[in-house]
Amino acid sequence: MIQVGDSLPEWHVEATPTFVISTALATRDFQDVHHDRDLAVSRGSKDIFVNILTTTGLVQRYVTDWAGHDALVREVNIRLGAPCYAYDTLKFFGQVVSREEAGLVIEVVGRVPQGDHVVGTVKIEVAA
Amino acid sequence: MSVSGKAAIAGIGATEFSKESGRSELQLAAEAVRAALADAGLEPSDVDGLVTFTMDTNTEIAVARELGIEELTFFSRVHYGGGAACATVQQAAMAVATGMAEVVVCYRAFNERSGHRFGQVQMAAAGNVDNSWSYPMGLGTPAAMVAMFARRYMHEYGATSEDFGRIAVIDRKHAATNPNAWFHERPITLDDHQSSRWIAEPLRLLDCCQESDGGVALVVTSAERARSLRQSPAVIRAAAQGSGTDQYTMTSYYRDDLTGLPEMGTVARGLWQQAGIGPSDVDVAVLYDHFTPFVLVQLEELGFCPRGEARHFIAGGALELDGELPLNPHGGQLGEAYIHGMNGIAEAVRQLRGTAVNQVAGTDHVLVTAGTGVPTSGLVLGQV
Amino acid sequence: MNEIEKEAARIAEQGESPRRLARDPVNLPMIRNWVEAIGDTNPVYTDPEAAAKSVHEGLVAPPAMAQVWTMYGLNGQRGGDDPLGAMMTVLDDAGFTSVVATNSDQTYHRYLRPDEHVAVTTRLEDVTGPKRTALGEGWFVTTTSTWYVGDEVVAEMRFRVLKFRPAAKPAEAKPVVSTPVIKPAINRDTEYFWEGTRAGELRIQRCGGCGLLRHPPGPMCPECGATKPKYLVSEGRGEVYSYVVHHHPRVPGKEVPFVVALVELEEGVRMLGELTGAAEVRVGLPVEVVFTKVDDELTMPSWRPRA
Repeated sequence: MIQVGDSLPEWHVEATPTFVISTALATRDFQDVHHDRDLAVSRGSKDIFVNILTTTGLVQRYVTDWAGHDALVREVNIRLGAPCYAYDTLKFFGQVVSREEAGLVIEVVGRVPQGDHVVGTVKIEVAA
Repeated sequence: MSVSGKAAIAGIGATEFSKESGRSELQLAAEAVRAALADAGLEPSDVDGLVTFTMDTNTEIAVARELGIEELTFFSRVHYGGGAACATVQQAAMAVATGMAEVVVCYRAFNERSGHRFGQVQMAAAGNVDNSWSYPMGLGTPAAMVAMFARRYMHEYGATSEDFGRIAVIDRKHAATNPNAWFHERPITLDDHQSSRWIAEPLRLLDCCQESDGGVALVVTSAERARSLRQSPAVIRAAAQGSGTDQYTMTSYYRDDLTGLPEMGTVARGLWQQAGIGPSDVDVAVLYDHFTPFVLVQLEELGFCPRGEARHFIAGGALELDGELPLNPHGGQLGEAYIHGMNGIAEAVRQLRGTAVNQVAGTDHVLVTAGTGVPTSGLVLGQV
Repeated sequence: MNEIEKEAARIAEQGESPRRLARDPVNLPMIRNWVEAIGDTNPVYTDPEAAAKSVHEGLVAPPAMAQVWTMYGLNGQRGGDDPLGAMMTVLDDAGFTSVVATNSDQTYHRYLRPDEHVAVTTRLEDVTGPKRTALGEGWFVTTTSTWYVGDEVVAEMRFRVLKFRPAAKPAEAKPVVSTPVIKPAINRDTEYFWEGTRAGELRIQRCGGCGLLRHPPGPMCPECGATKPKYLVSEGRGEVYSYVVHHHPRVPGKEVPFVVALVELEEGVRMLGELTGAAEVRVGLPVEVVFTKVDDELTMPSWRPRA
């Protein structure tokens, strides 16, 4: 039985260049800063970095990996902070913060060495 | 006449610790002071003394205006950056012990990350004649100034970057379980330390404390009055300042020996003499940790281990929460926040109250030190 | 109201863009690419048998893919009627050429199934700025999008991007040669030293009373109390007593990394200076002084390895 206050197990994602590029392309995001390091650097970035659709996907996966295959994701709300660059380790933390009529609200934080990459909430419905 | 046992810290207060407070330094100071008074069960009208750092931008009168404090009979400031931390409490204790004031609040508040950053080269400081022997030569940041000491310490005693890293690992381990810490739930490994980038060799990024926004305040009153207040008092058993021979601010490079902190040795002698205890009586040590190498040197100056042997002392696990000298249970300035040492004094008070998040059982005496590399200060706080 | 705000108001006034159909219907190959890249092993997305037994009673697409179906792709062009594209053009023209996404709030009314064909509409909700951010000055642009299957709303999103003018990198802002150096403060007690460097001499204060050599100097001898300081001219030779390799942050007038060495001179005093030309720096390295003229007023002493 999931309780408000339960923590999700910490999860680490190694943002290798292959990861950054393959996820950008799988989300059909062809912005150069997600696959071309030289251009990313020329635009003021340290390296290529993870795109927002991927962050949304990772947050969804983090919660459903924990909640189970039958959990229904209703909302993913995220705010981005520090970029997640190639070679960063992105560490996810999560906690059940409230129970609503139809389900649960889970707060998720994804951190990189530079700070919080993503802070967000996910609303899910799980079978009783 | 001794000040030992005459005064106590009766209240502690703080803002959140962040990288961008979103408000003025004066607001941070006022919030911290108000929180400390509420913690003590006192009103602003009870306050008649205020003490801060000369580096603090918030004047005593400005803070008094915001709090609605009407009359002040004692106001004082202490010099030399973070070296002032414990000395603010010493000033307050002396004022209380001599009847100059009854309730003195010590405070420090700044937007040290979002505003004026200490980690950058301070062009204003370069205008000081003392600094003209270092800044123009390219030695212009606190990290680089400490690195110069650290390199010589390594050369003489065989200490390594890993030895410094162990301090960072311990601080971050303790911060990981402190919800108020900036690095809550973000412990590091020695490998993380070793792979962090160079700032000023031999110092790596993870040898250097954070830059933080925030404020901390401490309410000092007589030990007698403190006993009638809301919280269990943290009695000031000893409060000492120290400056050494041929002392400079951060660049005391011209002494015979570069591997010690003689000014901290002066503080140590004062503390042990006033408190009537020695290093083996300390239950928890809150040592100033703006840069890791000086934690090793402090352990030696304070008498916890012989010269040059701090690395063995640390590697043996002495500084863990269950070790013989638990270090910075709040995570220190590397892990919790860099509030110029004042947050460490608040942690000492919590350890004595038994309310710390990483509580060390049976704490009777807590040692706190202030900024290193500068004229400095220290405290021994104890139970009633 | 400035030009950017006027344009924003005009685009917002147009309301929802016409529905734009996704290039392809929801399909298993794209789902497989996505779950592989993200590493999501939930079988309801790719395993028909497991999916049939799940609450979905059949294959579904990951909800977070909602936006993926209607992305423009590598060669896709935003139509003139796309409010986000129109606003981006306005900001590009105003010099805010870089973009970074900051917020995405997605609501999924139901899971999508393979072969369903979604269409999207977008509306410009808000444009605020200019704001100073860590990345540079910029504008926050907020849009709302709605995905339909037929007339059924299946997902919605509030999306915010920061369109910014990249802050100039310090390295590019000023070439090293022209960065100001940090100049020493000079007073009566120290001017002899800087007169010396101008003349190519490394001067060490020498007490006129007891002969104590002292650096840094001061007006009164701490040994004998005399206030008649003189100086001698050092041979300028010594050994590295300690050193720092400075990497971060940047220091005016220096190119990182650089070495600052604390040198013990043969006369017995220590002195700081930049050390250049050393292949390998170590404690004990023999060095000698060199003088670098900064301008007519200032000549800096520094160190180089001695043969």
